[in-house]
Amino acid sequence: MTCFSRVLMRSFVGLVFIFLIAPLVTVVSTSFSDSAVLAFPPSGFTLKWYRSISPEFWAALRVSLIVSTSTTAIAVVAGTAASLALVRGRFPGRVILSAYCMSPLMVPSLVIGVAAFQFASRIWDWTGYSLMGSMLGLVLGQSAFTIPFVIRSAIAGQAHLDRTVEEAAMNLGASPAQTFFRVTLPMLLPGVISGAVFAFVMSFDDVPIALFLGGGDATTFPVKIYTSVEFNFDADLMAVSTIVVACSLVVMTIVERLIGIDKLLGGARG
Amino acid sequence: MASSNEIPAAAIQVRDGAWSRSDSGKVKSQRGGWGFLILPAMVALLVVFWIPTFQLATNSFHRNAGLAQVGDAWTLENYVKFLSDPFYYGILLETFGLGFVVVCICIVIAYPTAYFLARTKTRWRGLLVFLVISPLLISVVIRNLGWLPILGSSGLVNWLLMSAGLLSSPVQLINNYTGVVIGLVHALAPFMIISLMTVIQRIEPELEEASINLGASPFETFWRVVFPMSRPGLLAGVLLVFTVVLSAFTTPAMMGGNRVLVMSTYISQQIRTALNYPFGAMAAVVLMLVTGGLTVVALRYQGEESK
Repeated sequence: MTCFSRVLMRSFVGLVFIFLIAPLVTVVSTSFSDSAVLAFPPSGFTLKWYRSISPEFWAALRVSLIVSTSTTAIAVVAGTAASLALVRGRFPGRVILSAYCMSPLMVPSLVIGVAAFQFASRIWDWTGYSLMGSMLGLVLGQSAFTIPFVIRSAIAGQAHLDRTVEEAAMNLGASPAQTFFRVTLPMLLPGVISGAVFAFVMSFDDVPIALFLGGGDATTFPVKIYTSVEFNFDADLMAVSTIVVACSLVVMTIVERLIGIDKLLGGARG
Repeated sequence: MASSNEIPAAAIQVRDGAWSRSDSGKVKSQRGGWGFLILPAMVALLVVFWIPTFQLATNSFHRNAGLAQVGDAWTLENYVKFLSDPFYYGILLETFGLGFVVVCICIVIAYPTAYFLARTKTRWRGLLVFLVISPLLISVVIRNLGWLPILGSSGLVNWLLMSAGLLSSPVQLINNYTGVVIGLVHALAPFMIISLMTVIQRIEPELEEASINLGASPFETFWRVVFPMSRPGLLAGVLLVFTVVLSAFTTPAMMGGNRVLVMSTYISQQIRTALNYPFGAMAAVVLMLVTGGLTVVALRYQGEESK
C-alpha cells in the first residue's frame, strides 16, 4: 500500500475509534464538569454531582439489582437443566422442544414486553391480581428471554465436554448423584457462567419489558434514565451512570480474565 | 443462532451411540433420566412466553372496544387496515429504510477498521479490540445518554462547527432521524467490525502481496481479493445488523425523542399512549413475523456456510 493511502486509512480508523468511545467519554467527563450538562466546553472540575445523586436513582439501582439477580438465578437453574435434557435426553420431539425453547430469542424484546403487558392486564381482569408495577412481574417478563439464553450457552458449553470422565467416576464407584454434582456440574460451569453473566447483563439492560411491566416501586435503573431524559435532568444522572459504567467495566474485566469477552458477543441489541 | 448449536449436540449423540454399546447398564439407567430436566424451562416458557404471545396474536384479531379494551368479535380488520393504508405500511417501509441506511454506514465504518485490526502487528491490538467491543458492555441507555452532550444544540459537535465558523446556527442532530441513525450505528458497528475482522484474519496476506506485485492497485486488490473472500462475514454482519435495527426500541425512542416513527416506537405509542390494544397487538405480530422470517433466513445461510 502506498504511504498516502496508509495514512488516510489510519486516520479514518482513528476517527472510528473516537466515534466508538465518544459517548462513554462524555458521560464520565460531564459528571465531573461544573457547567450546565449539555453545554460545551466544560468548565471547572467538581464532585458536587456525586454528592447530590438523587435517592430515586439509588432506589432504581436497587430494584435493578434485585430483579436481575432473581431473573439470572431462575434462568441458570431452569436453563442448565433444560440444556442437559436437550443434549443428553432420549425422547421423541427433541427437535421441536429445542425450537420451543429457543424461539423467544427470535422475538424482539419489545414484542415480548407488549405480550407480557397485555397478558398481565388479562390476568388482572380475571383475578384482580396485578403483576404490573411489581418486581415479580419484571422477573417473569424477563425470564422469557433469559432462560433461552442460558440454555443456548449451556448447550454450547457441552460441545467439548468429555463424557468418559463421568464414566470413569462411575466405574470408580461414585453414585449417579455424586457423579452429577462432583464431575458433571463442574465441567458444565464455564458455559453456565457465561450464560449467567449474559442473562444478568441482558436483564439489567432491558428497557422494553421493564417499561411496560414496571413503574412505581418497580422502576428499574435503565427505565429511570429513559424517563429522566425525556424531561430536564441534572448532571447527577451522569454521576450515577459513571458509577454504573465503572462497575460494569470491573465486572467485564473479570469476565474477560475468566471466560473471554468474545463469548458475550451473541447478544445484539439496540 | 439456534442451528449453530445443533451441530455440537449432534456430534455428542454420535459419540454417545458408540459409548452406550460398550458400556455397563449402570450408566445407561442414569441416562434415561435426563429428559425430565426439560420440565422447569418448558413450564416457565409456556407461562412467560407462549401463552402471552398466543394471547397477543388473538388480541390482534379483535376490534378495539374503547380505550384499553379488546372487543369480542373476531375480525381481520386490523391487518387489512395496516396493509392497505399507506400511512401504516409506510411505517414498516420506513423501518426497512432505516435498517438499510444503518447497514450501509456500518459497512463503510467496519471494513477499514476490521482490516486494520486483522492486519496490525501493534502490541496494543488486544486493547483496541476491547475498545471496539466496549460500547456493547455499557448499558444501552447510558450510551444514548452520552450522545446528548455531543449532539445537542449546545453540544460538542455544534460548538466545534460554530467555533470553526462553519455554521452560524446549530444543526439539529438529536431527537430526529439523524440521532436515531447515529445511535444505531454506534450500537451495531462493533458487531460488523468483529464479524469482518474474523474473516479477514483468515485471508492470507500473501494473496494481497501477490495481487500488488502483479500490478493491481490497492483498491483493485481490495475489490477483487479481500472483498470477495470476506463475503461470508459481511453477509452474516449485514443480516444481524438489519434484524437488530428492525427490533430495536430503546435507541429509536431515546435518540428520536418520540418523533421518529418506526415499527417499535409506533407499537409502544399504540399501547402506551393511544391505548389501542388490538391494533398495537397487530403491529407487534407483524414485527415479530418480519424479524422471525429474517432470523430464519440468517440461520439457513449460516448453516450453508458451515457445511
